[in-house]
Amino acid sequence: MSETAVINNHQDEIENTSTGLSNKKLMMWLFLASDVMFFGAFISTYLIYRGKSLVGPYPSEVLDIPITTVSTFILLMSSLAMVLALHYLKENEKNKATLWILGVVLLGTIFMGFQFYEFNHFAHLGLTPRTNIFGTTFFILTGLHGGHVTIGILWMAFLAYGSHKGTLRSDNAIDLEIAGLYWHFVDIVWIIIFTVIYLISANDMPPAGSELLIH
Amino acid sequence: MKKNFINKKSKLSLLFIVFSIFTIFGCTPENNQSTFGTAGPIASSQADLFILIFAIAVVVFIAVEAALIYISIKFRRREGDKLPYQTHGNKKLEITWTIIPAVILIFVAVPTLVGIWSQQNGVPDDKGQVLNIEAVGHQWWFEFRYSDYEVITSNELHIPKGRPVSFKLSSQDVIHSFWVPKLAGKVDMVPLNDNYIWMIADEVGEFYGQCAEFCGTSHAHMRFRVFVHEEEDFLAWVDQMHTPADPPMPNTPESRGQMLFAANCSMCHTNNSTTPGSYIMEINTQDARWNNWVDDTENSALVSAPNLTHFGTHTTLGSGIKELNHENLVEWIADPSTIKQGTRMQKQAMVYNTRDGKANLTDSEISDIAYYLLSLKPGSGAEMVIDDIPSDGLIDAEAVFATNCAACHSLGNDVIVGPGMGGIKDRAGDRVSGLSAYEYIYESIVEPQAYIVEGYPPVMPAWASLGDETVNALVEYLLTLE
Amino acid sequence: MTTKPATKSLVFPRFFPRPNSKTGIWSWIATVDHKKIGTLYGITSFFWFIVAGLEALLIRIQLSQANNDFLSPDMYNSLFTMHGTTMIFLVVMPLSAAFFNWLIPLQIGARDVAFPRLNALSYWIFLFGSILINFSWITGEAPNGGWFGYAPNSGVTFNPGKGMTYWVVGLNVLGISSIAAGLNFVTTIINMRAPGMSMFKMPIFTWMTLVTSILIILALPILAVAGIQLQTDRIYGTHFFNSLGGGDPVMWQHIFWLFGHPEVYILILPAMGIVSEVLPTFARKPIFGYSFVVFAGAVIGFMGWFVWSHHMFTVGLGPAANSAFSISTMLIAVPTGIKIFNWLGTLWGGSIRFNTAMLFSLGFIAMFTIGGLSGVMHASPPTDAQQQDTYFVVAHFHYVLFGGALLGIFSGIYFWWPKFTGYFLNEKIGKLNFIFMLIGFNIQFGPMHWLGMDGMPRRIYTYAENMGWEGSNLAATIGGFILGVGVLLFIYNVIYSMIHKEVAGADPWDGRTLEWSTSSPPPEHDFDEIPQVKFRDDFWFKKYPETIKEYYEHGEIEEDTEDKLSEKSNHEDEIHLPDMSYYPFILGVGIAILGAGFLSNIYIIAISVPIMIWGLLGWSMEPVNDPHPDGH
Repeated sequence: MSETAVINNHQDEIENTSTGLSNKKLMMWLFLASDVMFFGAFISTYLIYRGKSLVGPYPSEVLDIPITTVSTFILLMSSLAMVLALHYLKENEKNKATLWILGVVLLGTIFMGFQFYEFNHFAHLGLTPRTNIFGTTFFILTGLHGGHVTIGILWMAFLAYGSHKGTLRSDNAIDLEIAGLYWHFVDIVWIIIFTVIYLISANDMPPAGSELLIH
Repeated sequence: MKKNFINKKSKLSLLFIVFSIFTIFGCTPENNQSTFGTAGPIASSQADLFILIFAIAVVVFIAVEAALIYISIKFRRREGDKLPYQTHGNKKLEITWTIIPAVILIFVAVPTLVGIWSQQNGVPDDKGQVLNIEAVGHQWWFEFRYSDYEVITSNELHIPKGRPVSFKLSSQDVIHSFWVPKLAGKVDMVPLNDNYIWMIADEVGEFYGQCAEFCGTSHAHMRFRVFVHEEEDFLAWVDQMHTPADPPMPNTPESRGQMLFAANCSMCHTNNSTTPGSYIMEINTQDARWNNWVDDTENSALVSAPNLTHFGTHTTLGSGIKELNHENLVEWIADPSTIKQGTRMQKQAMVYNTRDGKANLTDSEISDIAYYLLSLKPGSGAEMVIDDIPSDGLIDAEAVFATNCAACHSLGNDVIVGPGMGGIKDRAGDRVSGLSAYEYIYESIVEPQAYIVEGYPPVMPAWASLGDETVNALVEYLLTLE
Repeated sequence: MTTKPATKSLVFPRFFPRPNSKTGIWSWIATVDHKKIGTLYGITSFFWFIVAGLEALLIRIQLSQANNDFLSPDMYNSLFTMHGTTMIFLVVMPLSAAFFNWLIPLQIGARDVAFPRLNALSYWIFLFGSILINFSWITGEAPNGGWFGYAPNSGVTFNPGKGMTYWVVGLNVLGISSIAAGLNFVTTIINMRAPGMSMFKMPIFTWMTLVTSILIILALPILAVAGIQLQTDRIYGTHFFNSLGGGDPVMWQHIFWLFGHPEVYILILPAMGIVSEVLPTFARKPIFGYSFVVFAGAVIGFMGWFVWSHHMFTVGLGPAANSAFSISTMLIAVPTGIKIFNWLGTLWGGSIRFNTAMLFSLGFIAMFTIGGLSGVMHASPPTDAQQQDTYFVVAHFHYVLFGGALLGIFSGIYFWWPKFTGYFLNEKIGKLNFIFMLIGFNIQFGPMHWLGMDGMPRRIYTYAENMGWEGSNLAATIGGFILGVGVLLFIYNVIYSMIHKEVAGADPWDGRTLEWSTSSPPPEHDFDEIPQVKFRDDFWFKKYPETIKEYYEHGEIEEDTEDKLSEKSNHEDEIHLPDMSYYPFILGVGIAILGAGFLSNIYIIAISVPIMIWGLLGWSMEPVNDPHPDGH
């Protein structure tokens, strides 16, 4: 990480940057700062709108913490796989690296499967984005997070292919590293979502009267 | 030439300052919505604060612009100029002009905070007995509910002089803003978020108000008037609002207009909120009309609408747009869009459900309605009995139904606004225990709000004014329907 | 790092050969050159400037007399909505972006931005997004809910039809463009500076670009959130801002202004940067108090995050919130004041030349001062209660955004035009242009101050004749047309310059910063040799080494600069420019079609997906440079 010059994957030209940090990595950090504002605004919306649904189903009636704990654990494990993949890539262990990147893809896909099941299940219970404020904030927030995970999965699959073909190597491991930054970030966002939506508001009951709507 | 130009610029700036000071303090306080010719303590303290900040700003402005012009002239490039000294700055100077604005701002901030806490924190206790009014914003008119006096009116607000008036502001549709510049600055009317504003009027007179938050097509035409009275005149006005209008004389344009109004307008416009209990009823009815519209914004024949009680005493129509007279009123009824575009009245009401959107009424019918509305004034209090019964004693109930009821009720099973009347004889007896079919229908005509059938909005006007005999004839007619 | 691995990369089939011509339409579509992209930004946004100006003139005609029926209310509402939206998102922001693109690499001594293809993508998304949002005029459904889109009036219940959907989808597309550009410029400025150019040796314009870009990165996602929420409300029936479904309309205002206030500084800071370059050049003195000016800009950018509720003083947030936001708003006057005083300090003792560029900058200071002072007036909630949503506010922000941002940008155009094209703009026409603009502007917006104090609300399409507003409105309309003549004079000047071709040379103004050290217009690779930087205003001190002592009297020269320089300059022997690429254009098309899909139907969205995948995969597998026959 502390290299002063970094190899660009497409070109064996040496980038000489003012800070010593590669352009790609710097931009990924900046993008994540941008994404923090994005999710921050959505999570704030969720929190401010908590308990303001006019009709059910309410969180306590639909949320299933044990199942989501499992999916959260799976997503956390994918971050571990990510770390290992990067480690092996830097060690030039091509097959292990490919395998662990595929592991990230697999775990991410399983997580998305859980989300798909959950959305479907909620729809059966009568909760859709149009039902009430909880549905609106819940589906759009977790849906956009799911969108981030999906993009990550596609990205990882692309990198796994590259690793398999030998175009992703230790000398351009930066490509996997920035994908990893993204993946860990998305993972952290999920931990916050899990805390905010599932752990904190799991017991939110129907509001007592419409008084709640007034500031 | 360069020199000339700078002089021109300095003249221009000077002209600008003089002109702005002149205009603000010299010319316009008498304008209808000027924030300077104030008529109450809130508005005048706001104007005073403005003048204070403005004065400070003028000093800063003159200092900066004068410095700019002075420097431009003094340090303009001359023949044979040497390279200026390449200074990097002067820390002491820079710190000084960081501190100076901060100090100046204290002189702005302190009166600002005093102003905020004295104006926005509710009515102080020492101001006298508070008059409470609920102001509701609608696209594009204002509704005023006097909860203390059970009076309801629209677009024209009457308040007493010298008494603090506290408004609870709300909105049924989009965000509006309640603003009477000469009495107080604005506060927004936000759906689901009740706001409060209070003011005191120091002068008797008529003041202009206007919605100040963009609220859709006819935002420009959402105005209202405030009439400030001496306390006793205000109380007299309240009394008048509790005095029913005299029923029109038979066989006059007004009486024909009354029937037309009842048939075409009354499901949305209440015009008789004078009696005890009518205040609460109108609020509930208004909500019901609104919910009806929300449920089906495209096809609802109902929508919340201005209360027209004693409309004849108003000075304007269309929420402060035009002078209220017969000619303007006819124009308004015939085609509201010529005066105000996008009204829900024209979009939803059955009577405007025509190809060109104009009222489905003849010119003389429109004229009659206008005469009727203009006749809505506090009456003498004498009960006038409508004697509309033909001399042979026989009442044509079918015709009565067609004129008065058919706009909302079909003779079959179709729902227009209210339920269809087909087969009512079979249902009416079971509706309320203890009431026969005859008694139930009779009650429902003279006091419809007593038993509203579930799923229908409580918007039917009371028809006791038809007279006992006519109602009886109507009930018998209805009992014959299959 | 020592061994060169064999070049091997994934290959995506090319449907077109990689373009390499330096002229013709493909040289523009496939360009990754920051200068060409800057030109594209400039031309496109100037076109929208004309459009928005015409919209403004229609508005002024309608308001020139009481009870006018020149425009229908809905048409009027569309015009003011689109005028605001266009001016902010399609004119001032991209005009600033044009300057960023042209100048940042030149000012920091780089050959291009950090991500040239991403830069091209930003432009194409901007272009297609701007067309998308204006396409609503053609379908007859131009947005009419205001540029601020207040819920629930912007919701589908009270604003049926496609109008506000165009608006929100268009803004979301434009937001992608802005964020991508912001990321690119922050990375460029932090990472691509010439050897020796530490952060505090950067030109002020570069500093302001950095602050602006950081604001873009952090603020535009919030607009995206507001946009997505409104979009799902409108298209899929969610309840974020739908008051009938329990959504809170005030929520929209908080989110929108949390973006909206930093946005104001996104609009004004680049102009402040331009002025901070123009004044020293024509006064022949360095900027007075460099570090104060830089910090003032950064502080403005930072404090811009804590003042958003001053747009909401009348919403009923309560006295405590209003007090807090009032104080924080007033505090912003302090750094703004620092800037103005430091500019005056820059002029003091100078040798001032009144070129057109300088006149525009002086006009900026004069007009911006007025806008700033009226800003303090409605920073006070009690007076704001009378001014909010009146023409006083319209006057205020036009003094800040036209008198400020646009005069600054015009100053920049006159200043750097010789650098961009190699030819001067005519000074006589330029001065006439300035005079018409300044006078027209003041006649147009000056009277709006007292219209506002006279109780005329904003956004009303007409007013009664007994209100006393007719005279001022007529004056404003006349002023608007005078201003229009000023803009026409500018266009005439551009044509005049293109015909008469008065050659400028590399350094026509005796400039101070690196962009003046290379030819006009600069070669494709910007600098034949990457400059070595020792000082602020390095180019100036190279020309006038005898003045170094005057500037650094307090011993600010870093002693060890020399060593660092020699160490860092090793790798700069060869000139490597990225090759052209058509993928940014294709990805831009795909994103635009995606936006159009949200407006029409799912099949259009389905069409956009393969196009976007083509663009993305092609892009990611395309090497920056194809292997050249001569082997580098």
